Amino acid sequence: MRDFVVVGLSHRTAPVEVRERLAVPPDRLGEELRQIAAGGRFDEALLISTCNRVELYATGSDPIDAAHRARAALATRLLDSAAEDALYQERGVDAVRHAFRVASSLDSLVVGEPQILGQVKEAFDAAKGAGTVGTLLGRCFTQAFATAKRVRNETGIAEGTVSVSSIACELAKKIFGNLEGRRTLLLGAGEMGESAARSLRQTGTQLHVINRSEDRAHSLAESCGGRAVPYERLTLELADADVVIASTASPKFILTPEMMKGVVRSRRHRPLFIIDIAVPRDVDPRVGNMDNVFVYDVDDLQQVAEENLSVRAREATLAESIVEEEVGAFLAWRRSLELAPTIVALRKRFAEVAEQELQRALPRLDGVDRAVLEAMSRSIVNKLLHQPMTQLKAGAGEPDGALLIDAVRRLFALSEEDPGAQAASTDGANEGKVTQLATAAAGSSGEST
Amino acid sequence: MNCQRAALANYRAIPHHGRLFCGRTHASGGHGQTMKAGLFIATAVLYALACMLYLFLLTRGAERARRLPGTVFVAALGAHLAFLLLEGPSAHEMPLADMSQILSISSFGIGIAFLLASYRFDVTILGAFVAPLSLMLFLASGLGSSYAPVSPPVQSAVLSLHIGANVLGLVAFALAFAAGLAYLVQERLLRRRQLSGVFQRLPSLDVLDTMSLRAVLVGFPLLTFGMITGTFWLLRSNGSHFFVSQALGVVAWTIFAGVIVLRVAAGWQGRKAALGTMMGFLFTLLVLAGYAMRAAAEGG
Repeated sequence: MRDFVVVGLSHRTAPVEVRERLAVPPDRLGEELRQIAAGGRFDEALLISTCNRVELYATGSDPIDAAHRARAALATRLLDSAAEDALYQERGVDAVRHAFRVASSLDSLVVGEPQILGQVKEAFDAAKGAGTVGTLLGRCFTQAFATAKRVRNETGIAEGTVSVSSIACELAKKIFGNLEGRRTLLLGAGEMGESAARSLRQTGTQLHVINRSEDRAHSLAESCGGRAVPYERLTLELADADVVIASTASPKFILTPEMMKGVVRSRRHRPLFIIDIAVPRDVDPRVGNMDNVFVYDVDDLQQVAEENLSVRAREATLAESIVEEEVGAFLAWRRSLELAPTIVALRKRFAEVAEQELQRALPRLDGVDRAVLEAMSRSIVNKLLHQPMTQLKAGAGEPDGALLIDAVRRLFALSEEDPGAQAASTDGANEGKVTQLATAAAGSSGEST
Repeated sequence: MNCQRAALANYRAIPHHGRLFCGRTHASGGHGQTMKAGLFIATAVLYALACMLYLFLLTRGAERARRLPGTVFVAALGAHLAFLLLEGPSAHEMPLADMSQILSISSFGIGIAFLLASYRFDVTILGAFVAPLSLMLFLASGLGSSYAPVSPPVQSAVLSLHIGANVLGLVAFALAFAAGLAYLVQERLLRRRQLSGVFQRLPSLDVLDTMSLRAVLVGFPLLTFGMITGTFWLLRSNGSHFFVSQALGVVAWTIFAGVIVLRVAAGWQGRKAALGTMMGFLFTLLVLAGYAMRAAAEGG
């Protein structure tokens, strides 16, 4: 029977050196997928590639074998047998659950981060474009997106920012309201300072860069879209800036209370937000006691990040239960697509109709051999069913077999919930539907003759 | 508000009835009184409910019921309006002529001004500070069942202008006070690094500071005009006593003048400006309280 497999690696199992070897740029995703699907003889295939994970979702009629082939497909791309240990794999319902958790950002490095859903959607679109998505993966990922939406709406998992740069941005917004047209001064060339400056630049602030090495200042300014300013102008720049990001390598304080006193006076008490990301610190903590000057150091920002993370962790348990619910719903749909119960149900439905009509007709006929009539109706049913059954059995093994089964179940109103139970029992509501269907069929045939 | 005192000084032998919520002599008849009492209680309950909901929204952040406090507050204003219309002055009477009505109108005006401000700035959450002010003034207006009315002989257009300007000034300062208070809360949270919850829900420091400044800039000319008309009226009606309330009024005016001068000339912003603004508002409230107490004493 066809089932899901997923093989991949993520931030949990592999360092970035390994992950980047597997990563596929978005524009090559479709082509890569076609190769993988053809090479691995998968019915369906979908490849998610982000900076934190590379995962191959596939379906195949023999899941264990499909898992091996999927693993091999990724392993050959790794070119390193040692790194193969980083590959994990899930099959069947576990693979589905994994897809739901990934889309809901429960498996992300930063739980609740919003980008992953978009990345999974892109992967899905690429796979659809490459023609490697069929009924099973299609339904699985459509429901994964619905799950992600529910998790987003019903839990607080995405609340509060958790990266130092975005926290710095949020704080700046809480102080200055609109950041448009404000000025950020980046002091020093630390990596974290640069990323914070970039984030602030994106919110529409102007960026000035000051560094002891003028060359470094220029290259930094260029890469962040700012303006380099000579170091001598530091006090003047401080007087004009709204946000200061300090991330120099200086061993002692650069912004001292004595220096800032003059700055505060010349800026006429306009608020100043100083983010001190440097270790050792660049800003004397006493500066933070001055009126309208707010100083946050790296520990403060980290603490905020941790608080937000703990909130997310609490919400994640709630999110997991939503995922379980959705997995349950998916399984119900999946079960309804099994071939054998469908065939049983279909036969039973036809036999019931024949039997009913027979019972209705018999009293009105005199002197007819009942056995002959019964044999005839059975034979009609069998003949009518022969072609559909053959097609169904042959088609169920095809990539779109599930679609076929789904269509049959819907055409003949075979209930989705539990095909096994449905086949074994007869229930009134369905009986009614069958009669309607039979009458409708009879009516139309009557008209045509 | 200098007038009120003088008005009361001139108030001598107007017969005084036991009145329920305000001293309007024309409002009589058992049915009207019952209805007024009912409306008063309904308004007060709605204001109190709005206060609680706003505070709940501020501290707990009830995301699903974000609009509820505002709706209840508007309902309270509706009930208040009905109450005001019911006890409105008849044609031959001067509007805003007694303390109870002044308090009631101020409370109503603060609510309306807040709603208008919410359109301009995104500050609905400030209802947590504004609604209690409305409630307090409204209750004070009802408490004064024995506020004495201004005696007809001293009523004049100048007096109306004086009271009207001061009520509008008070409304503006109330908004400045709410914004200033929110600023102080927000700044304290920022300095103590308590950045979740309330800090997230209150507006940014910049918005609060701007709002406070604008409200003071609106209120100050009104207060100044109120003081000039008051003095003019006082001189004309020969009331020459100088009382605590007038002194408090001068103090409030000086504080606001100082806040504006320091803001404009010295670039004052933030905490100090907020503190000054709040102090100024408290003094205007004291002026009002002084008059109310005097009126209550005179009214017996």
